[in-house]
Amino acid sequence: MSSQLIPTIETGRLSLRGPVAEDYPNFKATFASYRSRFMGGPLNTYEAWMLYAAEMGHWDIRGFGMWMIHDKDTDETYGMAGGWQPAGWPEREIAWIIWPDKAGKGFALEATHAVRKYYYANGWDTAVSYLDPKNLDSVRLAERLGAKKDAGAPSIDGSDAVYRHPSPAQLDDTQLAHGIEMEIGHYADPQFKPKGWALD
Amino acid sequence: MIDIPNINTDRLTLRAPRAEDVPAFAAFYASDAARFVGGPMTEAETWRYLCQVIGHWGMRGYGRWIVTLRDDDAPIGLVGLHNPLDWPEAEVGWYIWSGIGKGYAVEAGKAARAHAYDTLGWTTVVSMIAHGNDASVGVATSMGAQREEDYQHPVYGAMGVYRHPGPEALA
Repeated sequence: MSSQLIPTIETGRLSLRGPVAEDYPNFKATFASYRSRFMGGPLNTYEAWMLYAAEMGHWDIRGFGMWMIHDKDTDETYGMAGGWQPAGWPEREIAWIIWPDKAGKGFALEATHAVRKYYYANGWDTAVSYLDPKNLDSVRLAERLGAKKDAGAPSIDGSDAVYRHPSPAQLDDTQLAHGIEMEIGHYADPQFKPKGWALD
Repeated sequence: MIDIPNINTDRLTLRAPRAEDVPAFAAFYASDAARFVGGPMTEAETWRYLCQVIGHWGMRGYGRWIVTLRDDDAPIGLVGLHNPLDWPEAEVGWYIWSGIGKGYAVEAGKAARAHAYDTLGWTTVVSMIAHGNDASVGVATSMGAQREEDYQHPVYGAMGVYRHPGPEALA
């Protein structure tokens, strides 16, 4: 699948597009860093290059994959989010990574919420995230997305925790969905101060 | 990422790799025949490797094709232009896992080399061949390539470098 065929997703602040060669340096910097320790890194330059190539090829082989997260206005990249299922993954995963110096701005939440919505609108009826239990930022993000630990689901290799995302119905105009959008809105507009949070 | 062009030769088609090629590719990489080209690999490793073969096209604008017979879509090999980060320069490479001894590697290799010279405008190309891979050396020699000084690969060790005749010499 060429990048022309990878759909573009627009959110309030972000433009999600297929990965291209020009975006590789930021990917490499992150996967060479300690930031990638929960995702099989840090990688040497050759390993990072091959992983990025695999990110592209995954779209062809699976028909879905990881988008590059761009700022809608400046085009700079913030990380990647999307669907991921290399060989050996029991189920289709919703995955994300944010460049270390772009964390804390809600980009992963905004991008991941959008890609999940996209896959749910295009035939997926469930999704998981495979998380290193020590990766507290990602565990927290999964919980903010409404995912819950699924102790009965098979993991990749026994060392990862499986978080099951809410079903399409659980995200269809529900309090959960509104809570996620409210949080994203808060990040996007710091002047916006919601009165309280969704309880569930 | 770019579209991967199809190339036809007298007997062969070079086309983009697809998910359906994984079983044949994995069977090759599970076999002893893959020992000269980074194998053996598990099926999961091979799956990711095929993703990388496709992604190489996105990173470099060129790459390797799955080879089939013209009248049969079953994959018989992987041939094309290969230049990952740890290669000294771009190479034309080949492996054929079905129909050995019929000259398919030479035929597909020449088509890939012609694509490099005629479509991409390259002026030179090498083939990187692991020591002991005599069949591959035979293909390179049939294509007119000549051995140069070895390249020391960080993982694979010493590899033979075979430089192909340039576009003028082949014209």
